[in-house]
Amino acid sequence: MSAVTSVELKADARSEGFFSALAPGARAALFALAATAVCLLFTFPVFWLVLTSLRPASGVFYVHRGTEFTIDNFHEVLSQEIVLKALFNSFVISTAATVLSLGVTATSGYMLSRFKGPIPNTWFSLIYIFRCVPYVAWVLPLYFVTQQMHIFDTYWGLLFPHVAVHICFFSWIMKGFFDGIDPSMEYAAMIDGCSRWGAFWRVAMPTAVPGLTALAILCWLYTWNEFLFALILTSHETPILTVVMAQFVHELGMEWNLMSATAVIALVPALIVTLFGQRYVIRGLRI
Amino acid sequence: MTEKTRFMLALIAPAAVAILLFQIVPILTGANASFRDWTLYDPKRTWVGTANYVHVLRDPEFLGIVLPNTFGFMAASVACALVLGLAIALMLNRRFPGRWLVQTLVLLPLMVAPVIAAIMIRWMFNDQFGVVNAALEGLGFAPITWLTQRWTAFLVILLTDVWLWTPWFALILLAGLQSLPPEPFEAAQIDAAGAWRTFRYITLPMLRPVMVVCVVIRAIDAFRTFDIVWTISGGGPARATEVFSIYAYVESFQFLNLGRGSAAAVIGAIIIVVFALLLYRLLNRLVEVSR
Repeated sequence: MSAVTSVELKADARSEGFFSALAPGARAALFALAATAVCLLFTFPVFWLVLTSLRPASGVFYVHRGTEFTIDNFHEVLSQEIVLKALFNSFVISTAATVLSLGVTATSGYMLSRFKGPIPNTWFSLIYIFRCVPYVAWVLPLYFVTQQMHIFDTYWGLLFPHVAVHICFFSWIMKGFFDGIDPSMEYAAMIDGCSRWGAFWRVAMPTAVPGLTALAILCWLYTWNEFLFALILTSHETPILTVVMAQFVHELGMEWNLMSATAVIALVPALIVTLFGQRYVIRGLRI
Repeated sequence: MTEKTRFMLALIAPAAVAILLFQIVPILTGANASFRDWTLYDPKRTWVGTANYVHVLRDPEFLGIVLPNTFGFMAASVACALVLGLAIALMLNRRFPGRWLVQTLVLLPLMVAPVIAAIMIRWMFNDQFGVVNAALEGLGFAPITWLTQRWTAFLVILLTDVWLWTPWFALILLAGLQSLPPEPFEAAQIDAAGAWRTFRYITLPMLRPVMVVCVVIRAIDAFRTFDIVWTISGGGPARATEVFSIYAYVESFQFLNLGRGSAAAVIGAIIIVVFALLLYRLLNRLVEVSR
């Protein structure tokens, strides 16, 4: 059987749903209904948030009734110093953490992928265990450790914990990317006189660029979205966006229009990635 | 030391230093703190042995509410997200017009910060002005004060978590479905197996390794959930929806008893690491099989 027909057959065999007893028209309608429901389910909360952020303060409590819309909320939020500072800080931290983590996890993942033996095995188990340890178990004491290192409430004090956690999360993924690259090119380079580092840097790394891009996107968003580290390891000096938002919920609990506007601003990178970086994200979602 | 060993060690050296300083050192500090009276009124931080552990393990709040909440949350969240995710994966595995759009929209929650998701859902479930209560009233039901009762608050938290994580299951299971070999499906079709039987006896068993890996990873992550619970209910009403991470945080930073909070954190860490190690072999074997 040729490859083409086998693929078609495969799609065919699985394209029967649960409702094969129904008439084809009813089946298609049911399917369309399910697909629509899924779309609605996953977008409605975001849609509702955007809608709330566009409502004036007077109309926010009856979002579903009014027809008045305004962008004043965004003006007001963006004129608050703390929000601007938090936006800037979150951006700097995410970018710096991505650069640092990528460098560190690329080498660690390469090592896991290319070598066998007690050292890679130990390293892998170590990473696995630290990936499982709940954050609170080491972020709580990190509050004191960073104070002793005099990096509490600074960029460094938040950056390094992020890098440490990214190592545990992304070394696996990086290993997967390198597993997918044939090492024979590296061997060829080494036979031609390239050092091990040269083979890694000049041959393996350029081939891994798609994987690295995927990882960079995930890493950046992950840091941008992170909450617990920022909550414990920062204070007034280095406000972080997620923490500022969560404080809004508890402090100005009634100003939902302002809060929604802040959340929508914080959501922009996620929307951009969903629309334009989808391919990369899906590639990075391996386990 | 051979040149190869040196190369291996050099590759992991920066990562190892980061892990040593920012995970191992804090974990040891926390373990140390858990044996001390680490409060504001005791500047000397007296060594109290296992008193903090005894306190936590005898605390009815921890045993009666926090642990059941944590494990209940873990089981319910993983189960719901797995079932929904599988259904969506099966849907996306078919070819239909608009498939790309559905997949894009499904991806969205994966990118959204849990804190933002929590804020959105909290607003939707607001007692007086939320859209959910408005809809209920429109349908003629009485509005529900979602966040002031234990079970409804728990349900809202669970819903947020399922919303956030179903896409993750869906996309990974979809990749799993697409990598299955076609032959068993052809054989089933030749034998005239119905759709349900094909799914039950072919798709499901062949997908099992991927599903197990997903469930293990997600269960471990669900155990430490913090952001959404903190933002939606803050552990309330009256600490009724506290999960393990919230308990450790509240003990440490609201009751300012870092010794006790650390003891709780260590207990949680031990529980989950033992759980994870037990699953490690299983995981390893299944990953080998699935490749």
